[in-house]
Amino acid sequence: MVNISSHRLGNGLKVLVHEDRSSPLVAMNILYKVGSRDEDPGRTGLAHLFEHLMFGGSLNIPEYDLPLQLAGGDNNAFTNNDITNYYITVPAKNIETGFWLESDRMFELDFSQKNLEIQKSVVIQEFKQRYLNQPYGDAMLNLRPLAYKLHPYRWATIGMDISHIQNVGLSEVKEFFFSHYAPNNAILSLTGNITPERGFNLAEKWFGPIPYRNIKDSVYTDEPEQISERILTIEKDVPSDALYKAWHTCSRGSEDFHALDVATDLLAAGESSRLYTNLVKKQNLFSEINAYLTSEADPGLLVLYGRLMKDIDIETADRAVNEIIDSLKNGSLDNREIEKVRNKFESSTVLANTSILNKAISISFYEMLGSADLINREVENYCTAGKSEIVNATRKYLTKENCSTLYYLSSRKNQG
Amino acid sequence: MKMPDRIQPPLFQFDTRIKTGVTSVRLKNGIPVFMLDAGTEEIMRIEFVFRAGSSKEYVPLLASSTNMMLTEGTENFSSEELNSVLDYYGIFLSLSAEKDSAGIIMYFLNKQIRKALELASEILFKPVFPDKEFSILMNKRIRWHLINREKVQNLAMDEFLESIFGSQHPYGRQVKEEDFRNLIPTVLRDFHSKFYTPENLGIIISGRIHEKTTELLNRYLGEIRTKKNYIEETLNHLQGKAQNHLRIEKNGALQAAIRIGSSTIKKTDPDYPGLKFLNTILGGYFGSRLMKNIREEKGFTYGIHSSVSSFRESGLLVISTDVGTEYVQDTIHEIYSEIRRLQNDAVKNDEIKVVRNFVSGELLRMFNGPFALAESFKAVWEFGLDFTYYDRLAEKVKTISQDEIIRLATTYYDIDKLYEVVAG
Repeated sequence: MVNISSHRLGNGLKVLVHEDRSSPLVAMNILYKVGSRDEDPGRTGLAHLFEHLMFGGSLNIPEYDLPLQLAGGDNNAFTNNDITNYYITVPAKNIETGFWLESDRMFELDFSQKNLEIQKSVVIQEFKQRYLNQPYGDAMLNLRPLAYKLHPYRWATIGMDISHIQNVGLSEVKEFFFSHYAPNNAILSLTGNITPERGFNLAEKWFGPIPYRNIKDSVYTDEPEQISERILTIEKDVPSDALYKAWHTCSRGSEDFHALDVATDLLAAGESSRLYTNLVKKQNLFSEINAYLTSEADPGLLVLYGRLMKDIDIETADRAVNEIIDSLKNGSLDNREIEKVRNKFESSTVLANTSILNKAISISFYEMLGSADLINREVENYCTAGKSEIVNATRKYLTKENCSTLYYLSSRKNQG
Repeated sequence: MKMPDRIQPPLFQFDTRIKTGVTSVRLKNGIPVFMLDAGTEEIMRIEFVFRAGSSKEYVPLLASSTNMMLTEGTENFSSEELNSVLDYYGIFLSLSAEKDSAGIIMYFLNKQIRKALELASEILFKPVFPDKEFSILMNKRIRWHLINREKVQNLAMDEFLESIFGSQHPYGRQVKEEDFRNLIPTVLRDFHSKFYTPENLGIIISGRIHEKTTELLNRYLGEIRTKKNYIEETLNHLQGKAQNHLRIEKNGALQAAIRIGSSTIKKTDPDYPGLKFLNTILGGYFGSRLMKNIREEKGFTYGIHSSVSSFRESGLLVISTDVGTEYVQDTIHEIYSEIRRLQNDAVKNDEIKVVRNFVSGELLRMFNGPFALAESFKAVWEFGLDFTYYDRLAEKVKTISQDEIIRLATTYYDIDKLYEVVAG
């Protein structure tokens, strides 16, 4: 049980504290409700670039990292389609340094042309390192625009194209900050060796004076229902063919989510999953196969990907995947298999709660979904998804018409 | 609302003393067990560590393949049954084969301890290495290998390790595709019988430790005896290559991977804690000199790191980065000039203070939570050390002088002897 106390400041900042005295540290997490879905289609990658700029100094503090290192702290951040999330761990005595740093950069950033130019260059190297200079690294850059035609989920967080990042100007950066970074658009959570009282007092002191700001509504179109199957074939200089498939699913907060997540695990989580035992072990079609839900605030995807063994025809492999999914849709499912997946969710939830940092990140995330206390109800939510919910979810979402398939082929004649 | 003073940092000292206790017992057959009781959740982590890493192997890939076959079928379970039973009880198992050790790590809810130990005993001591599973595994591994060899990071690191440790030692030897085809299950069985023995095993347990842990360990693992003792022969020799600069061409690469470093002192050396401190200044944290210069001032890379680590037979010192292909020469030049700066100019006290505080915080993070505690314990126990190693590190962090940093930089970063590998 993760006990959470909550408090809202006058300017709208939500503050959540979970005390765990077994740790000598405090973890501090700030979630801003802004991600790549809030970007202009001509300026994709801006939310993530902005995450980098947040470390370039703020109004009163010339350098973010230095004082935190002096306090014995460590930090990092990530950006996805929906949120930008910053976190710190620091010895409990020095948590006020975290408040000082985080509140100052929420108050106002030090916008400098030099920092912008350097971070654009760093992000372009990141683009190359993670997406362009890795075998299959650009698969999602191809799959997303195949699955989404109108919704901003059609581009990845890193951006659609390097030129978008290159062209960002300082005035756009400033506007992005004041229209998205605000106490009323953020969630602050604290876990570890801190009492709720101390957490709330420090939050009042440091974040309380920051003004409420008007948040710019992101205007974008919902993705229209997909009515026919889409297939894209690309050829690249990679050692083996790979198969990627994506089905439109539901939002993270939807009532179908847990049943669909159980179905995804039945199909593809670990070496006892159906796809692995049948297609890797028995039929030797793939060297690896996996699937996951993108778990996004707007309706996301179930993404499945596998790398093929030598000399296997990709259409044969694709048909084999569909046969495994069809058997689940036809209701072939017993209670033991459902229990297996539930037990794994229980273990992984308990395991995640052994880390104060995981708990801090989760608490902010669940609060964004509607209530921080969802952290304590997840296992139960998975347990209420029974056979009929699971089978119905697969019938509803895993249809041929709703699927986008990417054949990522090797251009080499002899595949080694 | 009143605005607080935002100019002055609210900074305090913090207590860096590490308070940890480890309880050790021996099972009936002598297997040593180390218990670190900590944490808030009813979950345990058990790591079984055998001296069965790649340094023991007499043909390439033997250690990792033997390890990966442990869950591919045992006397009483097929591979499929094993995986589905583990999953059914929510037991997370990961296989691990490193340079010096190999084994498994299990996480499970305390209520599943009996099942977990029963399965552990089966997996560790009763694998049968079936032909069919073996051939599937090797074919998969060839595919993985071919994909890994597409990444400039791997091309550079594999070549770098071979350069400093030599092709005659498993620390350095590069894997080739035919190595996968040359292995046969009989050799794996032989390796298993020699190295997966109670004499070669240590067990590290952490989490909220179940009250019956020792009793249950004895029941499932305490009766196992070795049939015949194997006297190890030393076949593998460390020998760096004569040529210390190497370029690997990869057509079409957008970035090049750079690795610069050498073999170095081991964790047991008295200079090791000081070298760790020096390494942090150079490239061991976000505010390091390399990161500041090459990422934050020049924007050549997404990241640059320098690390000092240790195996049983040698230490390893390496600076790693991936940079745009147009920045390779400038980056290498800057790396060497940062090293020279550490050798020639005293590090200012302000910078020493930042690193001192950062490393002190890192020490707390290394002991934060039951599982971090277990990893920190393993990291010293494997070298015949104990938790007092961290006290020595903490003491060195507090007392290191400017002169000592210059001495360490001059002794351990001899630019003429560093190996330099670029792939891209």
